[in-house]
Amino acid sequence: MINYLKRNVSLTIGLGLLIFLILFTVHGLLTIEFKQAYPLAVRPKQPPSLKYLFGTDFFGRDLYTAMVVGVWQTAIIGLLAGAAGTIIGIVLGFISAYFSGLVDVLIKFICQILTPIPAFLIQVVIASSIDKRDVTIITMAIVVFLLSWMAPTLVIRSQVLSMRERQFVAVAKLSGMNSLEIIFKEIFPNLLPFIAAAFVAQVFQAVFASFYLAVIGLGPLREPLLGNTIWAAQSQSAFFNGWWWWPVGPSLAMILILGSLAMINMGLDEMANPRIRNKE
Amino acid sequence: MFVLKRLLFVILVVWSASTITFFIPRISDINPIRERFAELARLGGFSAGELEKIVESYSKAFGLDKPLMQQYFDYIGGVMTLDFGVSLNKFPKTVLMLIAESLPWTIGLILVTTILSFVIGNLVGALAAWPLSPKWVRGISTSFILFQGVPPVLLAILLIFFVAFKLNILPIAGAYSIGTIPDFTFEFILDVLRHQILPGIALIFGSLGTWVLSMRGMGITIQGEDYVVFAEHKGLSSYTIFKDYYLRNALLPQVTAFALALGNVITSAIVVETIFGLPGLGFVLITAIRSNDFLVIYGIVLFITITVAVLMALVELLYPLLDPRVRQGQE
Amino acid sequence: MKISKLSIALLAVTTAFSMLTTSLFAGGHSLTKVPREQTLVLGWSITSPIGVTNPFASTGYTHQEANNLMWEGLSYFGIFNDEEIPWLADSMEYTKSDYTQLTIKLNAMAQWSDGTPVTSKDVVFTFESQKNNNKLPYHANFKQFVDKVTAVDDKTVVVDFKMPAPRFKFQVLTLKFDTGIPIVPAHVLSKVDNVNEYEGGNDMPHSGPYNLVLWDANQKIFDVNPDWWAVKAGRISMPEVKRVVMFNIGGQVGQGMDVVAQRVVNNEFDATLDMRSSVIGNILRQNSKVTTHSADKPPYGYLDWWPNSLWVNTQLEPYSDARVRRAMSLLINRELINEIIYEGAGIATIYPFPLYPGLEKFANSPAVKKLEAELQPGLYDPDQSAELMKAAGFTMNSDDMWEKDGKTVSAVINGFEGIHSDIVPILVEMLRNGGIDADINFGTDAYQNMADGKAGLYMFGHGASLKDPYTALELFHSRYSAALGTTAGSNRFSRYSNPEYDKLLDEMAPLGGDDPRFQELAAQALGIYWRDQIDIPVIQWLHRIPYNQTHWVNWPTIANPSLGMNGAFWAHTGMLVVSTLKSAK
Repeated sequence: MINYLKRNVSLTIGLGLLIFLILFTVHGLLTIEFKQAYPLAVRPKQPPSLKYLFGTDFFGRDLYTAMVVGVWQTAIIGLLAGAAGTIIGIVLGFISAYFSGLVDVLIKFICQILTPIPAFLIQVVIASSIDKRDVTIITMAIVVFLLSWMAPTLVIRSQVLSMRERQFVAVAKLSGMNSLEIIFKEIFPNLLPFIAAAFVAQVFQAVFASFYLAVIGLGPLREPLLGNTIWAAQSQSAFFNGWWWWPVGPSLAMILILGSLAMINMGLDEMANPRIRNKE
Repeated sequence: MFVLKRLLFVILVVWSASTITFFIPRISDINPIRERFAELARLGGFSAGELEKIVESYSKAFGLDKPLMQQYFDYIGGVMTLDFGVSLNKFPKTVLMLIAESLPWTIGLILVTTILSFVIGNLVGALAAWPLSPKWVRGISTSFILFQGVPPVLLAILLIFFVAFKLNILPIAGAYSIGTIPDFTFEFILDVLRHQILPGIALIFGSLGTWVLSMRGMGITIQGEDYVVFAEHKGLSSYTIFKDYYLRNALLPQVTAFALALGNVITSAIVVETIFGLPGLGFVLITAIRSNDFLVIYGIVLFITITVAVLMALVELLYPLLDPRVRQGQE
Repeated sequence: MKISKLSIALLAVTTAFSMLTTSLFAGGHSLTKVPREQTLVLGWSITSPIGVTNPFASTGYTHQEANNLMWEGLSYFGIFNDEEIPWLADSMEYTKSDYTQLTIKLNAMAQWSDGTPVTSKDVVFTFESQKNNNKLPYHANFKQFVDKVTAVDDKTVVVDFKMPAPRFKFQVLTLKFDTGIPIVPAHVLSKVDNVNEYEGGNDMPHSGPYNLVLWDANQKIFDVNPDWWAVKAGRISMPEVKRVVMFNIGGQVGQGMDVVAQRVVNNEFDATLDMRSSVIGNILRQNSKVTTHSADKPPYGYLDWWPNSLWVNTQLEPYSDARVRRAMSLLINRELINEIIYEGAGIATIYPFPLYPGLEKFANSPAVKKLEAELQPGLYDPDQSAELMKAAGFTMNSDDMWEKDGKTVSAVINGFEGIHSDIVPILVEMLRNGGIDADINFGTDAYQNMADGKAGLYMFGHGASLKDPYTALELFHSRYSAALGTTAGSNRFSRYSNPEYDKLLDEMAPLGGDDPRFQELAAQALGIYWRDQIDIPVIQWLHRIPYNQTHWVNWPTIANPSLGMNGAFWAHTGMLVVSTLKSAK
């Protein structure tokens, strides 16, 4: 295992970053006072110091606390939306590939029709249409996954299709296993790397999309979501006024989060594709 | 027959896009006409005595008082005849005029950055998977992938502040220099290009990673394919193999993805255009979204969807030319 | 390599295509070159559609985007000198002592840019259009007050009112800030089928000093009209600004101000939209040639006529209970607001009107001062707030929020991101600390919620009074208080209904502002405003406009009031600001 990690550099880096972030967040959640992530909590406009590790913003939020809470909330959105998208992908992909026929054609057809529609754009339109009082972390997660489930569906479907014809399935059928058993005992385990990759990609999309919506001001404005913090900093001309620490912190966090997810994705790609494993 | 199938595909995509986008902005009951007046009021008190009556009479004129399903059918009917309606917020401009006026400022930027990103990203990705590439190529590709996390927004702000403002190397914002009269001269074109550099960098940076990742995956799959092994055995030079066998085959699926990417880049462009003050399609869209000028929203979303769908269909029609296997009836 | 050839080809095609389309939409006038020292560059977010210059075109037209350089009014008002500036009209006098008749005498030399003289026909056309066309902004005022408009001769118009209209001349016929009507050319618009749909275009005949020569997605360019009537008539000397370029900074009005600020510092812009407090200070520090209305001293600007309050729909529960409204006001710490947001300047307020000379006098009058001491409208007292909430039947729930019948007091503050992004989050936090369930809404439905009277608070201004408190106080007259479920007019969101209050206002209506009886009644009305907490006044509004003196001087400031107008180039009076600028050389 360790040997493999040594060879799969990207996976290692990605996992390393992720673990660092998780530790940061968990440690943070256990030691902070939640109240300080909201305005009027501490002295405003302070640069980073021992007392305020990431400084404070115009409204009096402690940016360290805000970051911890923000990363946590971003994680929730990413995991929820990512899981939802992946699960739908698995279910639909399986049904479509394994049972073929009209169902398959229908599902494939719908996915293909919906793909050229600029999902990102629709998300922006949806986010700006809903009543602002209803915008919460949960609704953001829903908005973000609504048009992203097509890709995992198609990927899983094609993998299942190819597996269905493989020898081990034929053997299993001959030995008397029924469909369900074949699905869970034979196909599923072979699919795991692809599912994992799809999940990571979905989480990435979800985090990216929610960040983007927040940055243009469509998120739940009071919450210290990373995107919200940058949006607030922008609207108060943080750079021009010399409060550089305000947008820089959350940006670094976002780069780390997305970067680690991208690295892990790349690593999982390699794991799933045996040819790469041999090359590296 | 093949062409007909593709045509049907495009029509269906457009229909589903227009249906989805039609109903979403109607969830909120914001009236774009009233929003226009609110916009004017915000700057210090436009006081129309009977604002409501004005809004009402305009609403009637635009058929906003008809039942929703009726409006839906009217709208679809209009789209079929290429009548996308008028902007309620910027009356009397029509939606098509708004798109036409802002498109030039977006096309150049979006196309160039998407193409550049596509070319550079795919090249790096392909090289990263090629076993004979030097180690540092892999390093570059990894860093490009990491860059996916850099938000174009932040990059734009940083570039403006440090490169344009502090260092004064490139212009801060705008599509061309203040007071210049647009004219088909070399000077003017250069001026426009100078103004597109920073926005271009901001947009390209974050999107390189996606191409690198996907191309690398493709490349690796192909390496193991029989024809590549065969070519190696034949003794063809690495360069030839790379160019004619490896790259050419890996690129095909990427081209479809390129069409899709165009559609999504417009959303990133919204923010970049706003920050750099470029009066392009993204800016028109965000204004429409903020004032709930739904006809403009529909128009732009449809325009983008049609473009992407048509491009995708075109690519699929071109496949047989690029890939002989497809010519033989495989799909 | 095939791929690179392909991509180069693609690149070339795209660039060529975009250049071609660009120049197609360029407008292609052959404009003369005007040096920078003779050009005024203004930065603004241009939102009106290209080509709409007709003041009667709704919804697209706005005077704010330099169209005020084309259209003029009968007279202007210099707020800081408290002085009327006669313009197209030499005089406008109430010829009956009960304010039921107004006589307007036009200037003999007033002329449109195509040579046609401005006559009483134009005035009559303008007035009658407003009276009969329900899509025009002042239709309601004309319908309510104006009986008939008669042209006595080429240059004289008599207006007869249905009832005493002492404020009509000032409110409607005088151009100031963003109110008042310009006079339009009858010979152009009477020939048009539908005045509301007619765009106007660049060449529409107008009376103002500048001609529109180019308008595209990036900028509007105006060149001075060498035959401007006002110079010949002796009103003003020929403007030194030969060309005005209004550059589109994109985005929403108020967004992206830090980029704009940078462009002021490097002298690309001479003036822009007003700035936030911290930004203007930094501009001044980085460029010594930039000044403001109050020079380099806080508050770095002038008082605008739009003081903001937290409005509520007083017909909706729980805001219908005056104790709840008072409890919310007691949670606002106005001193802290001044400290955090305005660097100590005294901007937080207790009045629904701006503290202009006439109104400041009213606010400092003994009667008003006495009421202030008694009712303490600016008090910050969370304990008293808690007492009131308890008395109103609320109990503290486990989230530290006040609750009654299972519902908390929803105080979602609807506001506008471009202008409220600094104050609203602070207000939200202050309310939450006192148990009110507050939140921010800068969404696109904010204004709609205000108009519909939805639950929550509305951060909005009172664009009303300039000289006397009548118009501001009249905002709360019950005749504007539409019932629940309908939309309120712009600016009248409180839907307050109180016969005692109405009586005071009705008695005040026919009286002049200086009448002692008027002052008495006004004080009483203000007392009711405070006592009942009709809305929660929060801040005066400031225009912190940067004036870059590198190329142009003689901006109106405290030290140099010029004609007394405010320095906003986008207001109607902006025409006077631009026309009186002098070259810095």
